[in-house]
Amino acid sequence: MEKHAIVLGVIGADCHSVGNKILELFFTAEGFKVVNLGVMVSQQEFINAAIETDARAILVSSLYGHGEIDCQGFRDLCLEKGLDRILLYVGGNLVVGKTPFAIVEEKFKKMGFDRVFPPDVDLKKAAELLKQDIKERFGPDSQSSRDNGQPAGPDKSNPEAEASAPETREPRG
Amino acid sequence: MKKIISIDIGSTWTKCGLFVLAASGLKLERRLAVPTTQDNLVRGFSQALSGLLGKDVNTPLKELVGAAEIYFSSSAKGGLRIAAIGLVPDLTLQLARLAAMSAGGKVIASFAFSLTRSDLQTLEKLQPDILLFSGGTDGGNSRYILENARKLAGSALSCPVVYAGNRAVAEEVADLMNKKEVIVTENLMPELGQVNLEPVREKIREIFLKRIVNGRGLSEIVELSGSQPRPTPLAVFELISVIPGYQPEWSDLAAIDIGGATTDFYSNTESYLETDTVVLKGLREPKVKRTVEGDLGMRVSARSLLDSGWPYLEERLRELGPGAEELKNYVEKISRDLDYLPRSEEECLFDRLLAETCVYHAALRHAGGWKETYTPQGRVYVQTGKDLRRVRAVIGSGGFLSAADSAGVMRFPLQKLKACGQERKLLPEQAHFYADRQYLFSLLGNLVEKYPSEAAALAVASLEKLNDEE
Repeated sequence: MEKHAIVLGVIGADCHSVGNKILELFFTAEGFKVVNLGVMVSQQEFINAAIETDARAILVSSLYGHGEIDCQGFRDLCLEKGLDRILLYVGGNLVVGKTPFAIVEEKFKKMGFDRVFPPDVDLKKAAELLKQDIKERFGPDSQSSRDNGQPAGPDKSNPEAEASAPETREPRG
Repeated sequence: MKKIISIDIGSTWTKCGLFVLAASGLKLERRLAVPTTQDNLVRGFSQALSGLLGKDVNTPLKELVGAAEIYFSSSAKGGLRIAAIGLVPDLTLQLARLAAMSAGGKVIASFAFSLTRSDLQTLEKLQPDILLFSGGTDGGNSRYILENARKLAGSALSCPVVYAGNRAVAEEVADLMNKKEVIVTENLMPELGQVNLEPVREKIREIFLKRIVNGRGLSEIVELSGSQPRPTPLAVFELISVIPGYQPEWSDLAAIDIGGATTDFYSNTESYLETDTVVLKGLREPKVKRTVEGDLGMRVSARSLLDSGWPYLEERLRELGPGAEELKNYVEKISRDLDYLPRSEEECLFDRLLAETCVYHAALRHAGGWKETYTPQGRVYVQTGKDLRRVRAVIGSGGFLSAADSAGVMRFPLQKLKACGQERKLLPEQAHFYADRQYLFSLLGNLVEKYPSEAAALAVASLEKLNDEE
């Protein structure tokens, strides 16, 4: 079976590269085809890479506290570019200061991210969630974009429905 | 001692050189140019050969070809016209364009994402010589590719299609387009960011041979001379590629060839050096790169040069004195009379300014840049495109630059370019400038396949170093 491609990178003007390398090694070992864009990645670069590689998910890291500004409009841009169903994950030190994580999580979910992780997340758990989410969204045997890539009717004609979809699909708050 | 002849069949002139290969290396014995006989190339070719060999003009080609080894190139009416299709503009489409240009072609149209009906109409109207069809990494996107393949299959396009996209659907693409001539080759971007242009270039070259050899008597030349033609820009590209390997002191070089219709820019230098403070964004460009600009040229493209290059020209006119109207009138004159040579001091200055403008814009489009960014970790430069800072030799070729008497015509616009805009342009920092005085680069390029070290040695030996007069 073909591996699922996922796109990885540190967003914005953030140069923290150590965690990024660890994530690459970890998710590769977990059986993903990791497309690592490294540090200082723009939204457009994430999306370009996801289109060419037919990625199932984009994993955004942000360590320097400006994640909220950098991630603004990410889901909208994905939709604009035709990535109707891609999973968006984000994790790291997402905001400056000591904001409770629940508030941070809510903020990023509102922006259209499917999962939001604190800096101390157990990677093993994140990988399990990712596999589960891919299965749910793309079906159990979704190796090729021909099976799922054709945007389904409602997705295309009603982007609003898709935009809010991550939240409705999300069981937890 | 072996006699070797190299011939470059251009659109107006057929240039040729007789070389002698001895133990000491390759030497130029004689060179000349005769008018190209477009209707039947054999006549011009025979004339060139008899001239070089000192034989009677009426000697049949059959007798002439026995006297020397013959290699030749053809500019194919300004190069192969290639249309490029990619997926994302900054990724596979950019590579498709680069591959087409470094194979000696010129990109006449390019399309990203899904082809629209008007895109298809444009393609049908343009009727390119080759359609280069790419998109998706191996195992990556197939949706756009298959959709485009279906659309292309239903189009009235008759040219060969080189498919260099997602390998996973290559067979399907070929099946969908089974009414067309589809040549499948390796993906030009098998993994994200991995650049693989060589297989595409090879396929384009093969098609060039097949297409160009048909008609105008070239097949007779091929048969009698026993050698295949190559596209002229590819010959130069190959020469630029091999020089550093045989002439290590010429390890980082660039060449600018300004013609009547196009300006070619070649570079052979590492495109990005990784450091803590420089982050590369976008593709890592190949070490040997050619770009060709169809709107920059001294005669056929003089009008479009005036449009593209007006801000630069205007600034130079202000510095030097002559009026804008005079320059515009001159451009009108040379656009009507393509063989016109300047007659007055002012006209010479105008030609020089046009050449400077070609250098300026060709370099602008070829070279990358650095943008300064402040991050919480300190100052960082974000690099896009190719770094030409380490280039130590810039070679001028083509009618105007071959005859240049000073480095200024190249150095000056490059200096201006460095100072323009917020982004720092990654242009040569400590380069010397040279002229391909005898216009040997395309001729020697033809010999690279068989005699790489000899051709490289003569190429650098034939260059004349240019000094600054100003």
